[in-house]
Amino acid sequence: MIRAILRAQLLSMRSFRLASSRRGAVVSAITSLVWYGFWTFLAVVAEELTASREFRRQIENWLPMGLLGVSAWWQLAPIASASMGASLDLRKLLVYPVPRGSLFAIEVLLRMTNSAEMLLLLAGAAIGLVRNPAFGGWVGLARVALTMPAFVAFNLLLSAGVRSLLERQLSRRRVREVMVLLLVMVSALPRLLMSTGVPAHRFDRLSPVVRNALWPWMAAGRWLTGSQVAGSAAVLAGWVALALAFGRWQFGRSLRYDIEAAQATVAVAKEAAWTARLYRLPSLVLPDPLGALVEKDLRSLSRTPRFRLVFIMGFSFGLLVWLPMALRGSGGSSTIAQNFLAIVSMYALMLLGQVTYWNSLGFDRSAAQLYFAAPVPIAWALAAKNIAAAIFIFLEIAVVAAVSSFLPVGLAPGKIVEAFLVTAVAALYMLGLGNMSSVYYPRAMNPQRVSAGGAAARFQGLLVLLYPVALLPVILAYVARYAFASQLAFDVVLGLAAVLGAAVYGMAMESAVSAAGRRREMIVAELARGEGPVAGE
Amino acid sequence: MMEPAIAVHDLRKVYGEKAAVDGLDLVVPRGCFFGFLGPNGAGKSTTIRMLTGLIPPTSGTIELLGMRLPEQEMEIKRRIGLVPDESLLFDRLTGAEFLEFVGRVYGLERPVARERGQSLLGLFELREDRKLIAEYSKGMRKRLAMAASLIHHPDLFLMDEPFEGVDAVGARLMKDILLDQVRRGATIFLTSHVLEVVERLCDRVAIIDKGRIVREGSMDELRGGTESLEDVFVRVVGAGREFQELDWLK
Repeated sequence: MIRAILRAQLLSMRSFRLASSRRGAVVSAITSLVWYGFWTFLAVVAEELTASREFRRQIENWLPMGLLGVSAWWQLAPIASASMGASLDLRKLLVYPVPRGSLFAIEVLLRMTNSAEMLLLLAGAAIGLVRNPAFGGWVGLARVALTMPAFVAFNLLLSAGVRSLLERQLSRRRVREVMVLLLVMVSALPRLLMSTGVPAHRFDRLSPVVRNALWPWMAAGRWLTGSQVAGSAAVLAGWVALALAFGRWQFGRSLRYDIEAAQATVAVAKEAAWTARLYRLPSLVLPDPLGALVEKDLRSLSRTPRFRLVFIMGFSFGLLVWLPMALRGSGGSSTIAQNFLAIVSMYALMLLGQVTYWNSLGFDRSAAQLYFAAPVPIAWALAAKNIAAAIFIFLEIAVVAAVSSFLPVGLAPGKIVEAFLVTAVAALYMLGLGNMSSVYYPRAMNPQRVSAGGAAARFQGLLVLLYPVALLPVILAYVARYAFASQLAFDVVLGLAAVLGAAVYGMAMESAVSAAGRRREMIVAELARGEGPVAGE
Repeated sequence: MMEPAIAVHDLRKVYGEKAAVDGLDLVVPRGCFFGFLGPNGAGKSTTIRMLTGLIPPTSGTIELLGMRLPEQEMEIKRRIGLVPDESLLFDRLTGAEFLEFVGRVYGLERPVARERGQSLLGLFELREDRKLIAEYSKGMRKRLAMAASLIHHPDLFLMDEPFEGVDAVGARLMKDILLDQVRRGATIFLTSHVLEVVERLCDRVAIIDKGRIVREGSMDELRGGTESLEDVFVRVVGAGREFQELDWLK
């Protein structure tokens, strides 16, 4: 049964690969190599640290905290990135007589799709501990071989339960934005409190709580280092059993959950009259069909849960991430503090890319064929999407600036103008590259799934490389200001970056239009594609 | 003499080594209600996609309303009404917003597009106030797609399974509207698996199988006076009876 489901998924992925270009596979391989190379490096560092005999005391002290970090990343990173990995599409599988236990087993295995990095780290630490004579060396192999799988099982089971719980809660239209906002705030709150003047020693009071022997990370840490083996093993086994019960309970609830019923109550466009007038504003200056296309995208995006979530994260999570760094140490005179708004704006620009420009046709899905069937040049359709994206990007910066004005970061009017200009210049490069990625790597996106990602999976990794390249001209402007200690140098370089950006945008648009003409069949097919029994990214 | 609505010559579409459409020759006169039939995978949808410019042919020529595709692509598109098999609808708009959007994309002024949109919503009984298209049933989506195909008053309709999922009342309404369009001189090129509908509506029919036209003519010519269209269709495409060999199924 499990094999049949996994095979169906494999076949779905196979047809996907066949339709894709070889270049896409190469890009995917390179970016995977870079990403997992980085984590492998960290795993080697972990191995070296845990293998040192002279670090015995430090390892005993800090290994549980490291395991706590692993658990936190495992459970929270998917929430913070709103990208919760692959999952069974239960609506496709429920009609078949598959035992629920089998479905749950697959769901747990799928949790590994967004935990490979943590598995690498744990493997590194496990090898180091086995090599460390202070913990018995190879004699401790059996102990490590039992503890690590138990700790991994705990995290996988907990993660399966958390995902089921979140997917259900986030499917409720009115709940999901508020819930995600709360989650990101809670996750960033400790650092923010420390940076805003809450003394660090107050957090020391938490230490006994976190280091209580009854926590799974403490039990796993102690078991791994060979102290209080029996008691720690019993505690960890208890946590695994609890996680199993929680995971199965939540998964069972998801099986019975009627997502349509949860969403049906408010599935209407409830705008006020003034909102409707806002949507029409671009049409005052843009001729049809361009105006109609922009208006359509503004309406569609603002009603798309995935987009709203990312937009909210841009000015909430973005501020919470960067504010502690801006407030740290040098009394607001650090580079981050001085360029706080520009940095948060650039972060928001990058975040919005997932739902606006990297895969701009994604939310349209099969309806994107209208751009090819209607009497509209595809260049206009792409330009309209860019204009809509730019409107939301500048709206985001305006919100960021408004919220920042209440924060102790010393926001001068000049800095607000600078943030807008810098983001506008960077957006030229991003939108240009985004147009190309949208036609070369199109991917259907479900607007209801808040956890589904933006660009095609094989393009996601490439973004890690593209961002620095796209941002380089803007970064050079800041380097010029620093090197020459001159605002004029900044202005000149930024001006040149804008001219170059306009040229890059023009060339990229030309290339994207040409590619869209050649690849229209593939684009429409990709965007109309359904998923296999495993959904999500 | 007026050019035909559709004139296709030696049209081919090849995927790898398989020809989805293999040397198609077809002429559809103006003002004709033309049924394009074939079994699953015969090449019907591929043909319609080539006619709409969604996919380029491997070879062959296409003329619509006397204009060459792709040379006069924009002018052709302005005069075509399209109901494809895949949804053309933007889920995050309401029906009214979508119709206004399509009207403006096809060159109508906003007030005209809005007014026509409202009329069409009323006609197709889609006045679901502020309801997003995402919440529409399959039948409602088909009705809205047909309403969108009408809004710019096209001369040629290309329709892929337009009645699929539509209830009897909705289908009757759609048929009446289409017949009315033919009466005013528009041409309709339609695929459907519901042969009774084709039999009742169409003046001429072509049957495609394995990418080639295997039968074409007026309804009377095809039926020969005695057979039903279904009999002709089954005989022409050679439907098998292999299931009788499956003992476990008996």
